[in-house]
Parts: sequence; structure tokens; C-alpha cells
Amino acid sequence: MKPSLRTLDPFLGFCVLALAALGTLTLYSAGRGTVHANLWIRQSVFNLVGLGAMVFLANTDHRRILRRSLPVYLASLVVLVLVLLLGKVVSGSKSWLSLGGFSLQPSELAKWVALLFVAHRLGRRPPEEVGNLELLGAAGLVIFPMLLVLKQPDLGVALTFTPILLLLPLVRGLKWRWVAVGFLGFALVGGVAWKYRLKPYQKERILTFLDPARDLQGKGYQVHQSRIAIGAGGLLGEGFTSGSQTQLNFLPVKTTDFVFSVWAEERGFLGVALALAIFGVFLSRILSIAKEARDASAAYFCAGAAGIFGLHVLINAGMVAGAVPTTGIPLPFFTYGGSSTLSFFLALGVVMNIHHQGKTR
Amino acid sequence: MDLRQSRTLRSRLNVLQAAAWLMILFLVAVYGWLQLVRARELQRLAQQQAVKVRTTPAPRGIIFDRNGYRLVDNRRALHLVIQKEDLGTALPQAETLAAALEIDAEGLKRRIQLSRGALGNKALRLLDNLDETGLAQSERLRARFPFLSVEVAPSRVYQGDELAGHVIGYVGEVTPEVYARSNGKFQLNEIVGRSGFELSRNEQLKGEDGQRRILVDHLGREVALFGLHEAKPGRSVYLTLDAGLQKVLMDSFGEEQGAGVVIDLRDGGVLAMVSSPGYDPNIFLHRLEQETVDLYFRNPSRPLLNRATQGLYPPGSTYKLLVALSALEKGIITPETVFHCAGRKTFYGREFRCDGVHGSVSLVQAIAHSCDIYFYELGMRLDVDDIHATAAKYGMADLTGVDLPHELSSRIPNREWKRRNAKRKVDEKWYAGETISVAIGQGQNGLTPLALARFYAALATKGKLLTPHLLYGVRSDETSKMEVAPVPPAKETRLDPVIWASLDEGMAGVVRYGTAKDSYDARLGMVGKTGTSQVTTFVDKQHYAKLAKKFRDNALFAGYAPRENPQIAFAVVVENAGFGAKTAAPIARKLCQYWLVDRLKQPLPPPGGKLPDAFEKKPEEEEASASEGEAP
Repeated sequence: MKPSLRTLDPFLGFCVLALAALGTLTLYSAGRGTVHANLWIRQSVFNLVGLGAMVFLANTDHRRILRRSLPVYLASLVVLVLVLLLGKVVSGSKSWLSLGGFSLQPSELAKWVALLFVAHRLGRRPPEEVGNLELLGAAGLVIFPMLLVLKQPDLGVALTFTPILLLLPLVRGLKWRWVAVGFLGFALVGGVAWKYRLKPYQKERILTFLDPARDLQGKGYQVHQSRIAIGAGGLLGEGFTSGSQTQLNFLPVKTTDFVFSVWAEERGFLGVALALAIFGVFLSRILSIAKEARDASAAYFCAGAAGIFGLHVLINAGMVAGAVPTTGIPLPFFTYGGSSTLSFFLALGVVMNIHHQGKTR
Repeated sequence: MDLRQSRTLRSRLNVLQAAAWLMILFLVAVYGWLQLVRARELQRLAQQQAVKVRTTPAPRGIIFDRNGYRLVDNRRALHLVIQKEDLGTALPQAETLAAALEIDAEGLKRRIQLSRGALGNKALRLLDNLDETGLAQSERLRARFPFLSVEVAPSRVYQGDELAGHVIGYVGEVTPEVYARSNGKFQLNEIVGRSGFELSRNEQLKGEDGQRRILVDHLGREVALFGLHEAKPGRSVYLTLDAGLQKVLMDSFGEEQGAGVVIDLRDGGVLAMVSSPGYDPNIFLHRLEQETVDLYFRNPSRPLLNRATQGLYPPGSTYKLLVALSALEKGIITPETVFHCAGRKTFYGREFRCDGVHGSVSLVQAIAHSCDIYFYELGMRLDVDDIHATAAKYGMADLTGVDLPHELSSRIPNREWKRRNAKRKVDEKWYAGETISVAIGQGQNGLTPLALARFYAALATKGKLLTPHLLYGVRSDETSKMEVAPVPPAKETRLDPVIWASLDEGMAGVVRYGTAKDSYDARLGMVGKTGTSQVTTFVDKQHYAKLAKKFRDNALFAGYAPRENPQIAFAVVVENAGFGAKTAAPIARKLCQYWLVDRLKQPLPPPGGKLPDAFEKKPEEEEASASEGEAP
């Protein structure tokens, strides 16, 4: 099959192009006059490469990919172990691999691979025939790479594995029993983790979230400054490249974690509402594609993808506004970064093909 | 299996879709809360941290000498400060900051607290006039304490170093202690004159601070300026000092302690004023090291004391002119009156000695040879209150009124004075024998060199009481030329020409053939009176040489020149230097030599060896002083 743009879903395609354009503009404004002045160019290159990869995958039958997901999954585990052994440390986390001039963050792709494999395994039989043991096994397939990522330690990326677990109730429905068991289990794991596993800085982040004034010089300061920038934007914003908090550098890490605050300050509430609306259409459209899918695996993949994208949006946009705890996870198509951007486009490529297959049958 | 027929999966996906939109709505609500409801409050916070009002300190006026040499200049300097708005952040960290700066923590805390409550936007200075090391240290400190900043503000440069330290004084910031005493005259942390001319003329010199509204980035660096109220520089002033003469006077003291003053007889302007040992005001521009503090504040020679206006010296024989004047005006003697000097004489049952055996001496001879017996005779015939009245008439009992701070009034004893200052009841009575000592300038007499010079100026002008002053003129803002300041008023006193002529003749004799004949130079026409005042009680001559230096006599010389049409009057005191004619008179002669001869032959640059580089004329002053020409 010759690669063709016809395989693309126009709604999803429009959303992605719009988000990538807004994100790149925001990066341009955020980087102005700093050492990050050229990041927007690099991000544009990532976007172009990503779009190419997306078109390529959209023209590749997703069933072929799903069938080969076992070796890919195993390879991803090997790479995650390699990262722990050979990775380089960036801001406290050993999550990067250097490959001749490039730095890759394999965990960004690993969660999509895990989703692919779990979707494939669960979709082999009709939902009613999937046993409890099989569901538990699927959960284990998610949790194992997630633990490897936690070991780096990268709490943010590890968190983005959890939407895959959404597939379990999706397949079997939600029973109150299980909800109760889930909550109990979460509380137990959370308590044990708090006591024995969480690093002091992670505990500090959660405490700071509960009381932002607690640490006005560190993480609390960043969120404090971010909220000032967002609020300063008001209804209409201060104008492109004219956000005072952004341009005067009061806003911290404004090309990565806090890039959305730049958008919020310069474009105001209307700009924020526009961006969030596009994200809403984007998520909704992925779930609509799931409904049209030809096979269960494809539907599961779309649902998981919507979950992962949704969690990114919720955590990042919520975090910079001080509504959820500070966790460094990227906002899709806004936050600068090659590994994450490429991964998002690859996942979308699979979704596009699912749409195409569902339509053409 | 056709998934599109699976109703359960579809409905579950519908739930997910709804959840996605709920999440989006939740985020929209969060942003709406921040950007619509709390927008005003957050915008105010944003402005608060980005828009600052900073004070731009006004440069103080430049100080020139009478010919336009820069004695005090300004330069742009860097200072480590805490800006007003950062004081709140700094307070909790005051202790660690004090430890890093090696200063007193309590003091720093107090300064921060006071500065927070003070009016205006003055920054709190921690380190002044940073040099390269200081700047490096400041940058290290700024990394640890982000609330610190480096401010650019003008700073003083005292060009002549020690040349006129006591006259010019120095500046410093208004500390909480000074602030508490200033009754609102000063702002906290303001730079003001702390001594000398800088203090006495602070109002003219200080100028008005300006203000800038600026945009700063997260490091407090200025990014943009959007409101400027220019600082108004202080008035530049000209001193009556002549740098060349000042240099001659300073150099002639060398290692000796003492003071000298030269007064311009045209208007009372102080042409030179030196107090030795001197000090360099530049050292007070930095935080003082303990070594420096010890050297300047704990030094028994008290280098910071301006001996010319604050040192009270027994005038010795230089006082004899006043005693003679008193006797002549009272009619006790006439210029022709003769007494006999046999080298010793008993008054009130006690034997008094003279330095020589002068035989029959007239008034003129008595002054020329400094015959003590002659003046003991006057002291026996005069009442101490009469001498005091004459001293008061010729302005010695009061302050001279010079425009320098903390001038001391001369001490001229009389009955009233003794009664007031007696420690015991028995000390209150004045004994006639004491008047004998007063008559030769010993006893309780204490005069500042400035007051002594002023008295000789009154003799030179035949009774004009000039007000010594240092402000010569101010620089006009329009033309940059000097405008002469009003001369402080002089008081005319009636001095009988016959009386005056005999005193003048006597002082001429001192130099021509009398006690100071070694300093005679026919071309100079210098006249005056030597003085040797005892610091300790009488010791016979054999032991004198062995006396510790600090107990040796003070040497004095006061007078005026030239005798025909006098131009300058002067007084020189050299502490513990022995006989007045030996050390003080030669200094006076050097002064006359420079002022009356050398200066005219080679007016610029001033001669007398190397003057500091600062004395190189700056091009912009060339024109100003050319038009002034010879000082009026």
C-alpha cells in the first residue's frame, strides 16, 4: 500500500496540526532572548519528523503491528533495563540514553509499547471470555515496565503508564466490589510507598501541593510564579511575546513543564479555553474512533491512548495552575522534547490506521 | 466478532468520552478561577515583582580650591545593597548574612528593621565602593542571598589625599545612631557629610535624589525604564584654600604635630589650614578594618582632630601683643614706657625669671626680644578682667565663626571663668599672682591656632575683625563659572594708630633683630611674634633635653606679611618642638615666601616639588580659572 494522506482522519489531523502550531509558537515566545531561543526550530523539526512517522503508520495495517507486539514489548523491557545500567542522569533521574549525538528517553515510548501489547493480548478473545487471571496478567504487563521507570526514578512518566489499567474495567465492566478493592489496594500501596519508597523530594512535592506556601523558594515558588503568570493573562492575555512574567523570566522552566503558563499569560483565558477545547475534541475523537474499530484490540488501543493523552493534559495543565501536585510530565505538542513528541505522533499514527480500517471495511 | 455490535463496549466508551469532556471542563474552570476571578489580585502581584521604584542618589557637589583645582571629585562606584523591597526577604536571613559579611548580626537586623520603616526608597548599603575583590565577593554573596543587589551610585574621590583632610572632611551614610539624633533632618541610609566642610556645607553639597521606575527581571536586573525623575546634583563649590599654599604648609610640618592657619586679609578667607598629623578622607569610603580604626580612633596623637579649630594651646609669648594692647588702651603705659630687666624679679613674694638680661627696655624692644619682665610688670599693673575685656574686644573670647563644624571657643581666663570652673571652693578666688602668668600667655590661656591667626589679622588690618571662612564661591549651573559667595561680615574695632604703630614696630623688630631674626628676609616683610608655651611645669635647663618629647614646650609663631600693605596673617603651632623661633617661625617664613614670591613667579602649576596628579589642571577648568585670573 502506497502511503496516502487519505488514510488520515480529518478531525484528528486538524487537532494535531493546530496543537502543534500553537505549541511551537508558544515555545518561540518562551525561548525569546534566552539560551532556549532556538528550541522552537528544533521542536518544528520533531513535529515534521513526527508527522511523517504518523502518516507512515497510518498506512501500515495496525493488525500487523499488533501481531508483532510481543518482541517489541520484550525489546522495550531490555532497553528500560539498559537505561538503568547505562543511562545518563538529568535533573535527578536516570532516564536518558545517549546514542551518538542524540539523547533518547525510552520510557516515553515504552508506555505506548506496553499499551500496544496489552491491547493485543486482551483483544484476542471477546470480552466476556477474558478471565480474571488474564486481566491480572495484563495489569502485571503494565506494572512491570512501570516499576522499571519508577526505579530511574521518574515518577511523572511512571504515572502515565496507569491509564492503560483503564482497559481492565473497560473490558469487564465496573463492579462496586472491585472499585472498593482497588481503592483499598491503592491506599495500601500508597501508604507503604509513602513510608518506604518515595524519595524525600517526592514527598516534598506532595506536601507542597497540599500547601503551596510551604516552599516559596523551591517547587512552591515555581507554581506560585506560574499562577501569577496565568492570572496576569486575564481574559484576553498580554499578547504574543508580550507576557511580562514570561519575558522577564519570573516564570521558571518555561519551555518544558511550564510552557502552558506562557500560553495562558500571553493569550489569556480565551486562548486557554481554545487550546483545552481542541484537546477535548482530540480526546473525544480518539474515543469515537475506538467505537468504530473493527476489532477489540484496536478499540482497546484507542481507549488507552485517549487515557494516556488525557492524563498528560490533566496533570500538566492542572499542575501549572496549582490544581494537581507538581509532576514533570509533558503537555502533548506544547512541551519541548523529541522523545515524547515522536511517541505521541507514532501513537496517533496507529490510531489513524484504526480509523482508516474501521471506515473502509 | 464485529465490535460495532458490542453494545456494552460502546456504552463504556461513551462513559470515557464523557469523562474526557468533564476533565476538560474541570481544567477550564480552574483557569477561569485564576484568569477571571483572581485576575486582578494576580496581576497586582505580577506588577509588584516586575515594576520597582529605585532612588538614584544625587552626586554631591565638586569641591575646588580657589583657583579651580579639584580637591574633591565624584566617580561612579558600585555598592552591595539590599533594595528597599527586598528588606522583608532579608530580615529572616540577617544572621547568616551577617556571618558571611563578618559583621554584627544584631546591628544588621536593627538596620534592616529600621530601613523597612523609613521613608523613601533608599537602599541599605552593606559594602561601599566595591573594588575588584569586593565585586567578586559580592557576586558570591548574591548567589547565596538572591535579595542582595549591586547598585551604581556616585562616590567621593578626595584628590589631594591627606592634603586638606581636616578641612574637607569626609562623607558617610546615616546610620541608625546618626538618624536617631538627626531629628528628621536626614534620611536613613542617606550619604551625608560626617566632618569638615562636607558636614558644615552638607545642605549645599548634597543635591536632590532622583527616582526611576523600572522593569526588572527575576534576578532584579533592570530591563526597561519607564519613568525618570532626574537627580539634581549638589552645588559645586570653591574653597578659599590655595592648594599650593596648603601643600607648602602641610609639607613644612613633616612628622611634627601641630597646626597652621593662613588668613587672607582682604576678606578673611582661609588660604591654608593644616592639622598635623593629617588623614586621608578616602579611607572612610570603605568599611573600616580594625587596623584603620585603631590607627585613627585610638591613636594618642588623635589624627582626626582638627587642631586648627579644635586644639586649645597656651599662646605663650604670642599673647604679649594682647597684653600690651590692653595696657596701652587702659593708659597704664605709653609706647615710650621703659622697664628694667635684670633677668629676674620678685612679684608677690615669688621670683620670676626672664630668658635674658635685657636692661632698660622699651615696649618695642620688649616685644622684639620677648622680655618677660616687661610683661610681668604689665601683669602686675593690669587686672585679669581688663585683659579679658581687651581679648573680647578683639574677638578672642568668642568662636571665630568659621564654617567648619565643632569649632572650640578659645579659653581666656578671668574671675568669672575661674569661679565657674573651680572644682573646690578655695579655687574660686582669683589671685593677683595668676595675672602675672597670664600676662606672658601661660596659665589657663588656651587659644585655637585659628583664633590666634584671627587676632593677628586684626592687628594687620588695624582693628578689622574678619570672619574666617572657607566658602569662596559656588559654580553657576548656567555658565560653569564661579560666582563669588557673599563674604561673612567683618567687625571694625577702633585701634588707635599710635598704639598700632608701636606694636607693628615691635613685631617687625622680632624678625629683624629679635627672637626670630634667623627667619629674616628683607624681601618678605614678614612681622610676627614667637611663642614658647610650657606644656609642663618649669624644669631647669639641664634636665630639659632629657624630657620626653611630649612634655617639651610648644613652639608658636603668629604674624602677618608684608609689613607694608599686609596680605596674609598666620599662626603656626608646632607641638613639643621647643623654642618658637626655631621651628614655628621658619614655617611662617616658608608660607610668606610662597605666597608673596614663588606663587607670583610661577603661578601654575604650584611649585614646591611634586603635587599629587590630581592637581593636573583638567581642561574644563582651564577657561574658568583663566577668567578669574588672580583671586580678588
